[in-house]
Amino acid sequence: MELLLAPLFFALLLAVVPKKFVRLAGIVGTLVILGITIGHVITFSPNNVVSVFNPNATTKFGLTFKMGYDGIGLFMVILTNALFPVILLSNFNRSIAHEKSFNAMVLIMQFAMTGLFLAMDGILFYVFWEMTLIPIFLILLWFGAPERKTILTKFFVYTFVGSLGMLLSLMALSGLTKDFSYESLLAIKLVPKSAFWIMSGFFLAFAIKIPVFPFHTWQPDTYTVAPVAGTMLLSALMLNMALFGMVKWMIPIAPEALNEMKFLIISLGIIGVVYAGVIAIKQQDIKRIFAYASISHVGLITAGILLFNTEALSAVFLQIANHSLVAIGLFLAAGILENRLNTRDINAMGGIAKIAPKFAFWFAVTAFASMAVPFTSGFVGEFLILKNLFSYHWVVGLIAGSTLVFGAIYTLRAYQLSMYGAPKISSFEDLKWNELAAFFLLSVGIVILGIYPQIVLDFVGPSLVKISKIR
Amino acid sequence: MDALIVVFLTGLICMFIAMAKKPVYVLITAVIGLLIAIGLMVSQWFNPPLFQLSYEGLEFTKIGILFSVLALLFTFLIIIGGFSYFKKEVEHTGEYISLLLFSAVGALCMIAFTDMFMFFLGLEILSIPIYVMVGSNKKDLLSAEASLKYFFTGGFSTGVLLFGIAWVYGATGSFQLDGIKASISDGTARGSLLSIGILMIMAASLFKVSAAPFHFWSPDVYQGSPNAVTGYMAAVIKLVGMFAFLKLFTITFGDMHSLWSGALYGLIVLTMFVGNLSAIGQTKFKRLMAYSSIAHAGYALIAIMSQETGSDWNLWNYMFSYGFSIVALITISIVLDDKEDNFSSYKGIGRKNPFIGFIILLSLFSLAALPPMAGFFGKFMVFSSAFNNHPILVILAIINSGIGVYYYLTFVIAALSKQEDESLVPLLKPSILQYIVLVICAIGLLTGGFFVV
Repeated sequence: MELLLAPLFFALLLAVVPKKFVRLAGIVGTLVILGITIGHVITFSPNNVVSVFNPNATTKFGLTFKMGYDGIGLFMVILTNALFPVILLSNFNRSIAHEKSFNAMVLIMQFAMTGLFLAMDGILFYVFWEMTLIPIFLILLWFGAPERKTILTKFFVYTFVGSLGMLLSLMALSGLTKDFSYESLLAIKLVPKSAFWIMSGFFLAFAIKIPVFPFHTWQPDTYTVAPVAGTMLLSALMLNMALFGMVKWMIPIAPEALNEMKFLIISLGIIGVVYAGVIAIKQQDIKRIFAYASISHVGLITAGILLFNTEALSAVFLQIANHSLVAIGLFLAAGILENRLNTRDINAMGGIAKIAPKFAFWFAVTAFASMAVPFTSGFVGEFLILKNLFSYHWVVGLIAGSTLVFGAIYTLRAYQLSMYGAPKISSFEDLKWNELAAFFLLSVGIVILGIYPQIVLDFVGPSLVKISKIR
Repeated sequence: MDALIVVFLTGLICMFIAMAKKPVYVLITAVIGLLIAIGLMVSQWFNPPLFQLSYEGLEFTKIGILFSVLALLFTFLIIIGGFSYFKKEVEHTGEYISLLLFSAVGALCMIAFTDMFMFFLGLEILSIPIYVMVGSNKKDLLSAEASLKYFFTGGFSTGVLLFGIAWVYGATGSFQLDGIKASISDGTARGSLLSIGILMIMAASLFKVSAAPFHFWSPDVYQGSPNAVTGYMAAVIKLVGMFAFLKLFTITFGDMHSLWSGALYGLIVLTMFVGNLSAIGQTKFKRLMAYSSIAHAGYALIAIMSQETGSDWNLWNYMFSYGFSIVALITISIVLDDKEDNFSSYKGIGRKNPFIGFIILLSLFSLAALPPMAGFFGKFMVFSSAFNNHPILVILAIINSGIGVYYYLTFVIAALSKQEDESLVPLLKPSILQYIVLVICAIGLLTGGFFVV
């Protein structure tokens, strides 16, 4: 329970912290939470399902308050809680870090996300799912670019309407079960037709958050107007909730519809890979390039999830971790460029590598991980997903494989135009210590996952074996 | 019954105390009276009741007690939250507060009625003081217009109701709810006489809860009335109107389901769309609230439509969250005290006054059904219990929630965003009483969804 309540406690504590120490308090808070999480990880054995909160009480409409974690739940919690300090650290030198409201919102977000990963009850899952929307909305509203209001409305209404699809599915389930606990929901036997609609409802919510191809239109705009920290939260962390939700909730609740939905969703994912990849190649705005790159990467992950076998799913979790690390790194680089040059146009940049060699090096490390170069975290996960897509159907595998080509083109283009070429700018401040530290930590993660991916695979493996047996 | 008498006596005493021209005394009396009444109401929850007067025309069932407590609580919150308005004209404070208390007496009658007489009496006792209160801002033309409009349309709907009751009496030969129910279920009363009567009663009830197409009065009346009265109408009158509707149509006329459910189905859909689509683009805060309250009437009526066993409890939960949101928002508008009531005057107040901003966020997101606020759970309960029988209706309601979030969000963005010139944004100073109201509302909204019964 302390795992869940610690972020809330620190968020409330920030109200009494003097303004001078706010940014420090934020980082210390997230580090303490990370420590608590590590404590849980050490005592955890991957075969178990640990119950965190089980009050044995049910509300009138079947909310049971059950919380707990298995391997994948705890993996997402540790990933999230490890990345929050890095995000705060990378923004340490910006004015946003001094804002009480920003730090408080980040911690509330951490609270909601932890709750989401721990939830063992459908309603509770939905509650935390929607709760994450409030802090990110406020961060974007208070610290976003001036032209944010329309885009923000679009983002909020879009994701809210998507969530209503999930709500509708839960309502449809309410007649079939006595309560909403995870076990009861899994025990429901559905006829294929209603399973199809229930899965579609869940998919609408997750597809918009991820975002999967036709539902992505909010994403590039929102990423662009968001402050750097907001973009990191959205791209590296919030989207994980949806991917996790697909594995743990969407498919296990309505496995009867898996075969029907498989082709549809995999196609959408693959279309997203190609479509976003092509668009990313043509973009001039560096944040938009990475936004489309993100759509392209998660399209592949979505396709991997729908294969729903143990190997593909383990690769999916590896790729989730990789995507989070890379997204933070890339958007940090984009943020640094935007911050120091006051422009996001890559044609206006150039020659920065000469002036700021440290930045160029660490940016390159992240860029290589984004391209899935061997010995970075992207390689193993992408390779395994592609292999499984090939064995699903070779055409699908072939189209999905284009991600490697597109990834190389758009990443290298963005890197080359901004870092090399004729110098177009006279001065560029090299990395500050906190940015350097953030890049370093991310790179350590990238390399460890690239060399020894087994650390993740062992952790999530047993739970995934259990889950993939459900269908 | 005893609570009802206490509230009535408190109202009387308030009128006498008002002669001292000290508004605070009136307030204290009203507060004490209402707290005693709430206490008496709660004491009846226990079995056997600790202390009870009884009268055959009124019967407080368990769910009736829950609704009564809520109605008294909202009256209490409106009185102490709106005190800064009531005390402005010292010579009228007593009248305002006692009129609200008398109206609360009517509310209790309308919750506990067992025959059509008490229903009609309750409706009138509830409405007549409010006709007066709506016009209490005498120097304001809009207020006078609102009062007249409300009185005329309300009077007309009362006429329709009476006519309907007469037809039902003609068909069944009884004013008692039990008697009516019995003669409907044994089939002796069925015929066009009864059908017309029921539909007339339904029309009058729909008028009271401001459902389309009987909603045209509500935006003008909400906008014209003093803020506190708007809050009372939206929170209390809607609450008891809904409960009376539920009681009449799921219990008494439940067997005639096939007659009225089709009509109600269509009107619910109409109400939701009319409310939500008209709310988009409103520029006055209270008009926005009026249209949103029309939309919420539509959602709440789904509880009556569903005809499930727990729908009274679902409705209670729904009106609970709705009432707290309304009371909180109205209290904030009383604190802001903007004559023009324009949307633009709310710009930035949430950012400059963080506590107010927090409450605005809670109550509007609760209205938009964003968890963990109580509004979400109310909606979830109402909708999910209706899903089995009327899936299309629920899907339409969900689509409407999607439309609704748009205008709530525009308001939240306006209220919470940073303004370029912060000095133009007023620094609000709620009184201690208003702080109490806001804190109670916040607690209600945050914990309301998690009742374990």
